[in-house]
Amino acid sequence: MRRPARPGRANRFSMRILIVEDEDKMARALRAGLEAEQFSVHVAATGEEGFFLASTENYDLVILDLMLPSHDGMEVLGALRHKRLSVPVLILTSKDTVEDRVRGLDAGADDYLVKPFAFSELLARIRALLRRGRPEPAGILRLADLEMDAAGRVVSRGGRELALTAREFDLLEYLLRQQGRVVSREMLARDVWQETARYTPLDNVIDVHIAHLRRKLDEPFGRKLLHTVRGVGFVLREEAS
Amino acid sequence: MMGRFPRPKRIRTRLTLYYVGMVAGVLALYFAGVSVLLFWQASNILKSLGAEDLETVKGLLYHGEDGQVNLREDYHHHSDWKQVQERLLEILSPGGAILYRNERLGDRTVGGPPFPGEGEHGYSGRRAKMSDGTPIILISRKYDLQGETILIRVGYSEDLIWNELRGTLLVLVLASPLILAGTAYAVYATVGRALAPVSKMAHRAEQINSERLSERLPVENEEGELGHLAGVFNAMLSRIEQSFEQLKRFTADASHELRTPLAAIRSIGEVALQDHAGPAEYRDAIGSMLEEVNRLTTIVESLLVLSRADSGQIDMQVSVFPLAALVRESAALLEVLIDDKQISFTLLGDESVGVQGDRLYIRQAVINVLHNAVKFTPAGGSISALIRCEGDSRVRLSISDTGPGIPSAHASRIFERFYRIDEARAAGQGGAGLGLSVAKWAVSENSGEIGVTSVPGSGAQFWILLPAVGCSASGAHSRN
Repeated sequence: MRRPARPGRANRFSMRILIVEDEDKMARALRAGLEAEQFSVHVAATGEEGFFLASTENYDLVILDLMLPSHDGMEVLGALRHKRLSVPVLILTSKDTVEDRVRGLDAGADDYLVKPFAFSELLARIRALLRRGRPEPAGILRLADLEMDAAGRVVSRGGRELALTAREFDLLEYLLRQQGRVVSREMLARDVWQETARYTPLDNVIDVHIAHLRRKLDEPFGRKLLHTVRGVGFVLREEAS
Repeated sequence: MMGRFPRPKRIRTRLTLYYVGMVAGVLALYFAGVSVLLFWQASNILKSLGAEDLETVKGLLYHGEDGQVNLREDYHHHSDWKQVQERLLEILSPGGAILYRNERLGDRTVGGPPFPGEGEHGYSGRRAKMSDGTPIILISRKYDLQGETILIRVGYSEDLIWNELRGTLLVLVLASPLILAGTAYAVYATVGRALAPVSKMAHRAEQINSERLSERLPVENEEGELGHLAGVFNAMLSRIEQSFEQLKRFTADASHELRTPLAAIRSIGEVALQDHAGPAEYRDAIGSMLEEVNRLTTIVESLLVLSRADSGQIDMQVSVFPLAALVRESAALLEVLIDDKQISFTLLGDESVGVQGDRLYIRQAVINVLHNAVKFTPAGGSISALIRCEGDSRVRLSISDTGPGIPSAHASRIFERFYRIDEARAAGQGGAGLGLSVAKWAVSENSGEIGVTSVPGSGAQFWILLPAVGCSASGAHSRN
């Protein structure tokens, strides 16, 4: 994988993220993905290095893998919290039992993501952690000629009001708030359907709702706003055809 | 309990030792009893002989010229009575002065000073000790000898009795090792024969391992305790074999399920790299690979859930909730699928019946069963759910569809993991063939049952039985 350095672009938001991950491929993919989202990213391959960087540099967020050689992620987290460093920590792990989660969150983690995860999911979690405490912007949501008054439950495109079911409205609102970002089925299941687990019937339900929404949102109008990103999820955005 | 000796490990040895010990104890008691009895009899005989002897002695007494008491010994010179020969004779004054002692007695005394009333009213017979410690049987009586009161004592050494008994007791004692050896042999052999099935069972059990789970223990006598034990073990083996088979099939199926998307990812990747394609084609290839990755993820997640469920790692959060509301909620979730196929859905039955269990898992089970019905019901068909109490404590939820039904050959296996009636068809629909097995697990984990009845061609009816609350009150007007 070729990864050109793009320092100028990466520092635009000056949000600094430290990735503590020993697996090279994973670390490189995360770094590339996050840099593409304008974050400034450092990678540490061991627990020691991670702890050293996290305690000496000033990061906005630490992404911490739990399975690390010699000192595992839990130790690093414990040491960081022991030093009263309050940087938000997002744990990545392949252990997904409730006890593991509870243990991680008890140790002072701010969020917990189980491998394999969708990259869009990771991005959403990162944004949520960085935004923490700041409420979602209210008022009118807009994309191209689409306009939504979330409080008034009214949505229109090109001045024509769309007749959406309640679920379709929630779905569109979520996509609109995440506009330009790919949203996975996991995120929809959790945030729109409020289901704790993702399962096959629910995936089918989501797909059908997307199809319905697309029929009402895009078909009567020339330009497509709701796109399917194959294998990843859905995204609401204006595309230059 | 701590014994002084190490307990033998083998039941056979232990039982043999135990029985030999018992028999030895019984024999010892028997010998003691026999000895006491014989001794008692012999001493009684001796006492009556002694009484006769006393009379004889009394008749032979005379006062000598010196006033001494004398005995005419000549009378007995020809006596072949052993008792008479062995007789110890002592004649005392009432005050205890020795008036006469026979030769055999010498200067010993037979019983010391007379006790009060000795020999006054008939014969006194007792065991006593001579002055030199020899145990004797002593018979005494008071007589009047020419105006003078005398006490005549006749004693016999107890050795006399023992000499008589020695032979009898010797025979008994010599016979006892034989008796004990016989007992030991009989017990050892009998126990050995009785326990023979155990060693056979052990031998056979040693050969049973994961490759040879079909082996069974030999059952020699079904009625007997060991036969019963073997039967119980065999039943257990059958259950183990069954779950082992299931596990093997599950592992094989799981690898197969995982291999399918893996193969797709590999082919798509390889083909995409071969062509000099444009960005759109590459995007398409990557997207296609990601789809397969999603499939893999779903399968792995389901497998994790099931394996965690198998090892009992999932805690149920039990509560009581109305079943009808749960079914309605599940149907509402799937409404968009139901409407899309213009399927009519109806829910009938008692609204108030509550179910006791983990709502989340039971909901998952209901959703999966309902989704299965939606999947196989053709457009324009119908699905009906019915809630009905069964007795006071159980409620049955039936979900009937108008799909093609399930051939009876498949009906029993449809809840197995990865089981699909139509391999090709379901694989294309993205399901992993786990929905119904997850439902089955969730229901049984909540003390329920799940099943299906179907007439091929006229739909399938899935039913779920769950512990109910509120059936006893409303059960009277439930339909049958």
